[in-house]
Amino acid sequence: MEKVVAVIMVGGPTKGTRFRPLSFNTPKPLFPLAGQPMIQHPISACKRIPNLAQIFLIGFYEEREFALYVSSISNELKVPVRYLKEDKQHGSAGGLYYFRDMIMEENPSHIILLNCDVCCSFPLPDLLEAHKRYGGMGTMLVIKVSAESAHQFGELIADPNTKELLHYTEKPETFVSDLINCGVYVFTPDIFTAIQGVLTHREDRANIRQVSSFEAFQSATRTLPVDFVRLDQDILSPLAGKKQLYTYETMDFWEQIKTPGMSLKCSSLYLALFKITSPQLLASGNGITSATIAGDVYIHPSAKVHPTAKIGPNVSISANVRVGAGVRLISCIVLDDVEIKENAVVLNSIIGWKSSLGRWARVQGNGDYNAKLGITILGEAVTVEDEVVVINSIVLPNKVLNVSVQEEIIL
Amino acid sequence: MKALILVGGFGTRLRPLTLSVPKPLVDFANKPMILHQIEALKAVGVTEVVLAINYQPEVMLNFLKEFEKKLEIKITCSQETEPLGTAGPLALARDKLIDDSGEPFFVLNSDVISEYPLKQMIEFHRGHGGEASIMVTKVDEPSKYGVVVMEETMGKVEKFVEKPKNFVGNKINAGIYLLNPSVLDRIELKPTSIEKEVFPEIAVENKLFAMVLPGFWMDIGQPKDYITGLRLYLDFLQKNSSSKLATGSNIIGNVLVHESAKIGDGCLIGPDVAIGPGCVIEPGVRLSRCTVMRGVRIKKHACISSSIIGWHSTIGRWARVENMTILGEDVHVADEVYSNGAVVLPHKEIKSSIVNPEIVM
Repeated sequence: MEKVVAVIMVGGPTKGTRFRPLSFNTPKPLFPLAGQPMIQHPISACKRIPNLAQIFLIGFYEEREFALYVSSISNELKVPVRYLKEDKQHGSAGGLYYFRDMIMEENPSHIILLNCDVCCSFPLPDLLEAHKRYGGMGTMLVIKVSAESAHQFGELIADPNTKELLHYTEKPETFVSDLINCGVYVFTPDIFTAIQGVLTHREDRANIRQVSSFEAFQSATRTLPVDFVRLDQDILSPLAGKKQLYTYETMDFWEQIKTPGMSLKCSSLYLALFKITSPQLLASGNGITSATIAGDVYIHPSAKVHPTAKIGPNVSISANVRVGAGVRLISCIVLDDVEIKENAVVLNSIIGWKSSLGRWARVQGNGDYNAKLGITILGEAVTVEDEVVVINSIVLPNKVLNVSVQEEIIL
Repeated sequence: MKALILVGGFGTRLRPLTLSVPKPLVDFANKPMILHQIEALKAVGVTEVVLAINYQPEVMLNFLKEFEKKLEIKITCSQETEPLGTAGPLALARDKLIDDSGEPFFVLNSDVISEYPLKQMIEFHRGHGGEASIMVTKVDEPSKYGVVVMEETMGKVEKFVEKPKNFVGNKINAGIYLLNPSVLDRIELKPTSIEKEVFPEIAVENKLFAMVLPGFWMDIGQPKDYITGLRLYLDFLQKNSSSKLATGSNIIGNVLVHESAKIGDGCLIGPDVAIGPGCVIEPGVRLSRCTVMRGVRIKKHACISSSIIGWHSTIGRWARVENMTILGEDVHVADEVYSNGAVVLPHKEIKSSIVNPEIVM
């Protein structure tokens, strides 16, 4: 029986300053989108692959930060999920190589590789089928984006008939293509041979350089440690056009979750996806015995929402939240243990764990997910007093706001 | 004798420094803030200090073990589970503060830096025979604070006026008290304000007396006042133990340099600078009115003024950092960059100039 193993790269704390202030409490991969931890979306997608044997999470966070989660999700989905901590930076492909013995433990025929901060529909069974048809070493998920935004990603050229990857450039300065790398791959175990090749080549060059110090000044890779291998620059680019790598295009949504603002957008995308794949997860309400619900809304079973409140669209409410009478919530994420008092309004914002919004308080962002202050973010345990207005601002944990603020970062 | 230090909460005004350590452990003049107070208390014979905290007890407790040994003084924590205001913590720590001796105990506010004339305060307290003594300090703008209205000769306190609109006096509560154990009978274990509820009650009974604090006083709970406070403190050191200050042809005014710090040639340091343990100041650097915390490296030809550089940060060559730039822990400013009032959270790199005050998350 052919087994498949999945590897999800989760990153680590010091690299994650872009997710502040939400990352002060919780590792980014565990931040909830549409009511589920960010990493649960790719994990659930992996579960749809037949013969999935194991899921590995690889990152730099301390093991204890993931211990509870991996144990509970393993139980829930009935598939072993393990967190592996990298001891140092090996690069996006180096990390995979470093744990190759564990990944190959059950002799899988295919390895799915995913990045945790990618938001998409993860069409993994289709990707795997396509890969088997192409018969190469690896197949990557690709998507067309606008020409102006393409430069932020890995741009690629694919053969329109064979779908082979012909050319790949990471974050080019000039336009190459509007087809970009989604950060979702399937590989055969030959990937390890390819990475090994890069490592050996690096070592050989390092040895040669010891002989010629002049060459040492010339080498562009001199600053990289010998065992640091990047998937994009060291594997994908060199192997493009050699009939080893193929592409599979998705027509669904795709985003990268780099900032808190983007997490709100991605939460909405997943809520819309649930509407199609798991409508039983979304809330419904008639405004009489339960709150009025508009559009896609997730409400945790332990949350208490007053029947006169109106919730949605695009709202996600976590555990133990209390929403008072007459509250209006639009396009927001409300995290655990928040209390929202009567008649408050929240729009385009993220309300941090244990925060409290007073009566007639108004917390609002302008909705520009990419702007620094486009989505209002309240960190953990922030108190917004009665009638106070907070617009386009970021508030760090444990602050009490008793006067209105606009366009500010509050430490 | 015993003492209670009100450490309180999250120290949000001293962020980004307090994102790395709790406020009492932020270094001031090369020593954790709270150590200045504990040392002053030990010097007048206090044998046990209770810290009233409500945040990060584990970090505090580790620090305390180290200093308990070094100073030979007992240090314990009293942890609030809910905010108890400025008087409630005293009730919470009651059992630790009262013993059979019946001696009065000190209460200090942890944000305050001063000369701590505690011996004079003990004598003052014995002299008037009242129930409570408080230190007051003269300020230029009393309306920003709570003013203590007192009678001049004995210092008997008549009343407290919070942020008065008209001038009623220029002495404010300096946050240093010496209280008889009977004061604890007046405080219930609930959120209580010592200024608004407890002291006015004692004043009405003519048992509250105020002593004007000789010397400097500063609430260093926010960066601007921290920098001013350093100037006042170094000035005090210069008058009383000038041997602690640095000397040399490259030193101007009052400068404190830790013995393990290294300063290169052609530097000009001062006035009002504190350089912490393990710092490396490379040649050609100009520092004025700034604090450089443990483990910082300032590269050649850089110029820093009126700023605080957090632990283990680096400042690049020819960088210019000024106007209340506050760098958190592990912040790296690239070569040739200019920072005008940037407030930078920990673990960041600043690769391009920041010409207007800005918070970098």
